Amino acid sequence: MDLHEPEVAKLPPRNPEPQVDPDALVFSAEEKERIAGYQKRYPTAEGAIMRALWLAQEKFGFLPPEVIRLVADELGVPYASAYGVATFYTQYYKEKVGRFVLDVCTCFSCQLCGGVDMLHHLESKLGVKAGETTADGMFTIQGVECLGACGSAPMMQVTNGPYIYNLTEDKLDELIEAMRAGSMPGFTSVTLPQDEDEMGGNRRTDIDEVAVYQTPPVAREID
Amino acid sequence: MEVTSSSGTSSGKATSNAGNWKEYERVLLPPVKDLHKLDVYEDKGGYAALREVLTGKWEPATVADTVKASGLRGRGGASFNTGLKWTFMPPVDDGPRYLCCNGDESEPGTFKDRQLMEYNPHLVFEGILIACYAMSITTCYLYIRGEYADWITHMERELEKAYARGYVGKNIFGTDFSTDIVIHKGAGAYICGEETSLMESLEGKRAYPRIKPPFPAQFGCWGRPTTINNVETLACVPLIISRGADWFAGLGAKTLPGPVLYGISGHVNRPGVYEYPTGMLISDLIYDVCRGMRNDKKLKAVVPGGSSTPPLRADMIDGICMDADSLREAGSMMGTAGMLVMDEDTDMVKWLRRVSHFYHHESCGQCTPCREGTGWLERLVAKIDEGEGNLRDLDLLIDLCSEMEGRTVCALADAAAWPVRYTLDRFRDEFEAKCRPSSVPVTQLVTA
Repeated sequence: MDLHEPEVAKLPPRNPEPQVDPDALVFSAEEKERIAGYQKRYPTAEGAIMRALWLAQEKFGFLPPEVIRLVADELGVPYASAYGVATFYTQYYKEKVGRFVLDVCTCFSCQLCGGVDMLHHLESKLGVKAGETTADGMFTIQGVECLGACGSAPMMQVTNGPYIYNLTEDKLDELIEAMRAGSMPGFTSVTLPQDEDEMGGNRRTDIDEVAVYQTPPVAREID
Repeated sequence: MEVTSSSGTSSGKATSNAGNWKEYERVLLPPVKDLHKLDVYEDKGGYAALREVLTGKWEPATVADTVKASGLRGRGGASFNTGLKWTFMPPVDDGPRYLCCNGDESEPGTFKDRQLMEYNPHLVFEGILIACYAMSITTCYLYIRGEYADWITHMERELEKAYARGYVGKNIFGTDFSTDIVIHKGAGAYICGEETSLMESLEGKRAYPRIKPPFPAQFGCWGRPTTINNVETLACVPLIISRGADWFAGLGAKTLPGPVLYGISGHVNRPGVYEYPTGMLISDLIYDVCRGMRNDKKLKAVVPGGSSTPPLRADMIDGICMDADSLREAGSMMGTAGMLVMDEDTDMVKWLRRVSHFYHHESCGQCTPCREGTGWLERLVAKIDEGEGNLRDLDLLIDLCSEMEGRTVCALADAAAWPVRYTLDRFRDEFEAKCRPSSVPVTQLVTA
């Protein structure tokens, strides 16, 4: 690494060429209604910026300046306010990402229990570095900060959605295959150790996908 | 095991402050199938505490006093007395007042609230409603970090059911008490767990912490009186109402009583979220609850309460319990009770490098000592880790920590500096071993 300039966050290009087709750059009536619903929950229009940006990101896939402007106009807030929010929070994608974004946790519990190994495995399997997108536009991989599932290390999150716990290289390979076929992983519930002892396992009868807390693997590399 | 309140460091024999914890019956996450469903929760006595408070005509002040008497202290890291915090709210006037329930949970090593929200969401809602009643609040914002998208959907679904049954909303239980709960989805920023930046984030701004005073109780969300409590803290409230303040105060350690969710991760055989009373011996948690160290390795270090609490060396945890006093004596803090266990093979320099990277990444950039300081901490630790450091860099690191601590708007700079300061203090030999030997022989220095 460059000891003088450790990279923490890349700023997006300030004035990129428009990336969303101008004809497609509109909210539907139903989406406008949802945004109006968000606005009702807060005393000011600004309060709804975060939810509206989430909605826009789900619709357009990422948030280039023209999409942020669309959100700002819809809410009637200054563009600068919406732009400021979009660039502050890491989960808003400022640049185009792959169809599946694989956020591998490398923060310390995962670091010490194989998170870095998993990231390296993905890097070599997909032929891109952390922070990059594969040429076919399918996968973006990145190392991220703590996702709040430290007991299930190593783990990752797929496109700001489902968590995948207790990763192994084989499990990653299977997941990548399934995602190439277009399938998004589902929600997994993690059974508490005390539930295993006192209730014989999962406490939720409405969830089929269940993980348990396991002894973490020995990490080969931790940086 | 006898019930005792001594931390046991003087007697030499380790005694737990958690009493007879092996017989402990869970209350935050009791062993009930499908407890997250409203019907099951009601069946098990759910919303009875709220009903008792509202229809039993409790005075709001009585509720706050009961919580104060229970000794409940915040579970979000600062361990501040919850009932006392509630009394900071000014008298009711015409304007709105807010409660924020902090479900941002971004402290590395902490993963308890996510499971509490999944498995017992209505307990959280009930706690929120009782807190709202105690402080005459009509709107609560439940702030959940954006990464927990699946749990936000889950909470919204359950909240809708509570609304449909009349537990939340207008005229709850036919009384004139009405409260709305709004779930706010974050978008990935550690700083939002800090109470004032959480409010900024709610207002739809960049989450820069505010200068205190004025404190949130005077000038909070949209300039109105606001109280911020952690998810687990509020989940304790219905239990205090239904089982009594004495029951709560008698559970676990005297100065920080009650049930607590320990989130244990790292090199143990069985990591996970465990509910026990406060005051558990750290050694009991590792060797008994978590079934010992992975591959029978030796313990090297424990971080007791999330990344910002100072790490403890293995020889420092003898007789130390997970409560405020005992951990202070040992030289650390309770934090969020999210405990990281490290075995003898762990490279503390690399670990600290990762911790420093985290704070550098998460510094919001508002205050110079933190924005620049966290970067310098990372660069210096990385330099040492790469074998290019000098011994004087270790002193420079300590200097830097002193320049950061207490000089910023919020505590993130302190949280970034403490792990560096204490890891360096407690594992100095490892850092020295990675530094370049001094180019001037010591003898020459002495004679010169």
